Amino acid sequence: MRRLSQAYLGVVLAFLYLPILVMVAMAFNRSALYELPFTFDLVWFRALAGNQRLLAASWNSVWIAALNAVIATFLGTLAAIAFARYTFRGKQLMQLLLFPPITIPWLIIGTSMLIFFFWTGIGRGLHAILLGHVALSLPYVIVVIGARLQSFGPTLEEAAATLGATPVQTFLRVTLPMIAPGVVTAALFAFAVSFDQFVISYFLAPPGTSTLPVEIYTAIRKGFTPEINAVSSIIIVISMGLMLMVARNYRFGGE
Amino acid sequence: MAAPPRQRLEIIALTAPAYLWLTATVFLPLMAMVYFSFLTAVPVGGRTASFTLAHYVSFFTKPVYWFNAWRSIELGIYVTAIALLVGYPAALALSRHVRGRWREAVFLLVILPFWSNALVRTFSWTMVLREPLNLLFTYPAIVIGLVHAYLPYAILTSYISLQAIDESLIEASRSLGATTLQTFLRIILPLSMPGVLAAVFLIFVPVIGSFMEPRILGGKDAIMLGPIIEGQFTAAFNWPLGAALSFMMLAIVLLLLALAAPLLKRQLGSL
Amino acid sequence: MPFSTVSRRLFMSLAASVTALAAFRPAAAAEGELKVLNWQGYGTDEKWALDIFEKKTGIKVVHDYFNSEQEMLTKLRTSPGTYDVVLMNNIYVMDAVNEGLVQPIDTGKITNFDNLTPALRDSERFVKDGKHWAIAWVWGLTSFAYNTKKVAERPDTIEVLWDKAHAGKVGWRDDALESIQLAALATGQDMNKPADLDKIKSKLEALKPQIKTFWSSEDEWNKYMAAGDYDLAVYWSGSAARSKKAMKLPVEFVVPKEGAIGWFDGLTIAANAPNPEGAAKFIDFMVSPEFYVRWDTDVGAPASANAKANGELPADAMNRTILGDPEVVKRVQWMAPLSDEQRQKNQELWDEVKTKLAQ
Repeated sequence: MRRLSQAYLGVVLAFLYLPILVMVAMAFNRSALYELPFTFDLVWFRALAGNQRLLAASWNSVWIAALNAVIATFLGTLAAIAFARYTFRGKQLMQLLLFPPITIPWLIIGTSMLIFFFWTGIGRGLHAILLGHVALSLPYVIVVIGARLQSFGPTLEEAAATLGATPVQTFLRVTLPMIAPGVVTAALFAFAVSFDQFVISYFLAPPGTSTLPVEIYTAIRKGFTPEINAVSSIIIVISMGLMLMVARNYRFGGE
Repeated sequence: MAAPPRQRLEIIALTAPAYLWLTATVFLPLMAMVYFSFLTAVPVGGRTASFTLAHYVSFFTKPVYWFNAWRSIELGIYVTAIALLVGYPAALALSRHVRGRWREAVFLLVILPFWSNALVRTFSWTMVLREPLNLLFTYPAIVIGLVHAYLPYAILTSYISLQAIDESLIEASRSLGATTLQTFLRIILPLSMPGVLAAVFLIFVPVIGSFMEPRILGGKDAIMLGPIIEGQFTAAFNWPLGAALSFMMLAIVLLLLALAAPLLKRQLGSL
Repeated sequence: MPFSTVSRRLFMSLAASVTALAAFRPAAAAEGELKVLNWQGYGTDEKWALDIFEKKTGIKVVHDYFNSEQEMLTKLRTSPGTYDVVLMNNIYVMDAVNEGLVQPIDTGKITNFDNLTPALRDSERFVKDGKHWAIAWVWGLTSFAYNTKKVAERPDTIEVLWDKAHAGKVGWRDDALESIQLAALATGQDMNKPADLDKIKSKLEALKPQIKTFWSSEDEWNKYMAAGDYDLAVYWSGSAARSKKAMKLPVEFVVPKEGAIGWFDGLTIAANAPNPEGAAKFIDFMVSPEFYVRWDTDVGAPASANAKANGELPADAMNRTILGDPEVVKRVQWMAPLSDEQRQKNQELWDEVKTKLAQ
C-alpha cells in the first residue's frame, strides 16, 4: 500500500513538472524557434543579462509579490481568525464577499480598478498594482488559513483560556503555532498570486514600467525568444533556493 | 445573534483591515461596474445613458450567453473534479506515507510550479500537446492545461487539512477494529473536508472565468463565457453587457454554493 | 523561534513596507521625453528609428502598447496628460475628436505634409472645421496569404478559404468586424452596410471544417505558418511583407477578385499631451521617406500615405507591386466608422458563430 501510494505521488509530480522541464530545457536550447534537435547553449542567458527591460520588470514583480505576501497574509490571518472562532451577524455576507475578487473575471476588476483609481486620483503605477494584488490575494489567504483553523477546532484555545491565558497569549502561544503551516502556505500562495498576476498589472502599469507577466505577455505578442524561458528558469531556481532555506529553519510540513 | 460588545470590538478589529482594503480596491470599483450594468451605455464622450435591464435579460434569452455560461460551468466542474480526484490521493499519500525530510521536499516541489509564469507554462504545454500527443487546439487540451495549473491548490489545501487530523483518532479507530477503508471514509475524509472545499472554491471559481488557457490551448473550442465577456471590453465597447454577464456568473456561482450548502453542513456537522 | 519574535518582525516589515509604498510615486515626465501609444512592433518603436530621432532632436521616446483599439480608447480616456502621440485607425478619429481626446495638429509643423496623398491626408475622417486632427500615416489591406510550399497555384478567389482541399488548414483571426467584412466580400455585399446578415452568418459558420485555430497576433500567425498548421490564413498586407522579409517565411499575399478590406491609420496628438512640440516632430519623422523607406525595406510595412516615400521603394516591394497597382486598388472596399450599436451587434453575431464552430 505504501509503495503504491508513493509511486502515485511520483506520477502526479511527474505530471506537474512535465511542462516545467520542457520550459527549462528550452532555455538551454540554441534554436530561437524552439526547434529540436536539442543543442546545448547558454546564448539566451547571455541575452537575458543584457535585457534591461525584462530584468527591471522581474525585479518589480519580486518586490511587489513579497510586499503583497506580507500585507495580505497579515490582514488575511486576522480575518480568518474572526471567521473561524466567532459567530456574528453578517458573517456569512462577509464570507460571500470573498467571492467577487476570485469569480469576477480579472478583466472586469482590472477595468473597474482603472476607472476608480482614475476618479479618485490614485492613478496607475506600481503602488496601484500593489493595492490590486493584495485585494486579489486576500480571499486565498483567508480560505487557506480558515481551512486550517476549521480542521483544528477551538478546543486547544479554549483549553488555554481555562488555564488562565489572556487572548493575546492564547493567540501567540497556541493559535499561531497551530496555524503556522497554513500561514506559510497562504503567504506562498499570496506571493504566487501576485507574482503571476497579469491582468490587473496590465491595466494599472504606468507607461514604461511593468512587471514580469506583463513583459512576458508583450514579448509573446511580439515574438518571444527563449530569453523568456531563461528568466523563468532562473526564477524557479531562486524560488527553490528560498524555499529550501525556509524549510531548513521551519518545519511547515507539519508534525 | 449579536455578539457581546467586547467580542464585537475584537471582531471588528480582526476583520476591518482586510475588508477596508477590499472595499477601497474591489468593492467600490465593482459598484461602479454594477451601476454600468444597468445602463444602456457607458456615460463618456457625450453618450446618453438610460436605465435598462436589457443586459441581464439577454443572459436568459440569448443562447449565445447562457449556453456559453453552461460551457464555462461544465469546464469548471471537469477541472475541479479531475484536480481533486488526482490531487486528493496525492495529498493523502504525502500526509500518510511520506516521512521526515522527504515530506518537506515534496511539499516544496508541489508549490514550486506556482512560481513559474502561467503564460510560459501554457506555451510549454502547446509544445507537448502538439508533438507527441496531438491534442492541441481541442477541448481536452484546455482541461489538461487548467488541471495542471490548479492541481497544486487541490493538493496543498487537502494536505493542510489532512495534516490537522489528530493521529490518535486514527489509532483509536484502528484499535476498535475498523479497516483502513472504514477509517478513511468515517474519519479521515470528513475531517479533511474543509481542505477539499477550499480547493473547490479556489479552483472552480477562477476556472469558469478563465480565458487565457482556453485561448492558447483550445483553438476553436475556446469559446466560453470568459472570452465573451472579454470581447465586450476589448472588441465591442459594451461594458454594461460585459459587467452584467460577469455578475450573472457570480450569481450562478453563489447559487451553486447555496444549493451545495446543505451538503456541506452535513459534512461539517458530523465533526 | 518564539512567535512573539515572528509577529514583531511581521509588524515591523509591514510598517516598513507601508512607508516604502509612499515613496513609490511615479516620476513626473522629463523634458525631452515623448510618450507614444501604439500597437507593438508597428513602426514607431523601431530601435534604429528612435536612435536617429533622438540624435536629431534630443528627445527620448517611451512606448506604451495596446492590444485592441478599444484598449487604446480606454487608455486615452483614463490617462489624460500621459500620452503624446497616439496611433489611431481612421474610423476612430472623429469619435475621439468629439470626445475631446485629441488636439488639432498644426500642419505647418509637418514638413512632409505636401507629399501626403490628398485622398488620405484630407480625408473627412481626419479633417473637421478646417483643422487636421490626425496625420495620415500608413494604409494597407486585409485579405489572406498562403504558404507557397503548400499551395501549388496562386489563388485568385477568396473562396479558396472555404475549399475542402484545405480543410483544417486555414487560419482565421478572432475579430468580429474583420470576419463579417470578409464574409461580406465573399458573398458580394457592401462590407460596411451588408444587406443580408444571415447569409454572412451562414458563410462564416461554413468555416467550421476549415479553421485550424485562431491567431491573434502577428507572432502567432508566423509560428502557426512555420509549424505547418496553416496552408492559408487571413492576414494584413504590411504584416505579410514582414513575415516574408524579416521572418523569411514562404508566404505570398493575395488580393482576390472579390476584393479586400482597405484601412488607413493616422497619427494623432492627445489632448493635454505633455510634449506637443516633440509630438509634431515625431509625426513628421514618421511620415518622412528617411524613416519609411528603411522601415519597409529592412522590416516590412504597410503602404505609406506619403506618395513620394512610396515612390522611393525598390520596384519589387509588395507595396508597389500589389498595393501600387490601380487594378487592385479598384477592388478594395474601405472600412467605414461604426456606431457602438453596430459594433455590439457584430460582436454578438460573431460570438454566435464561434459557439457554432465549437460544437
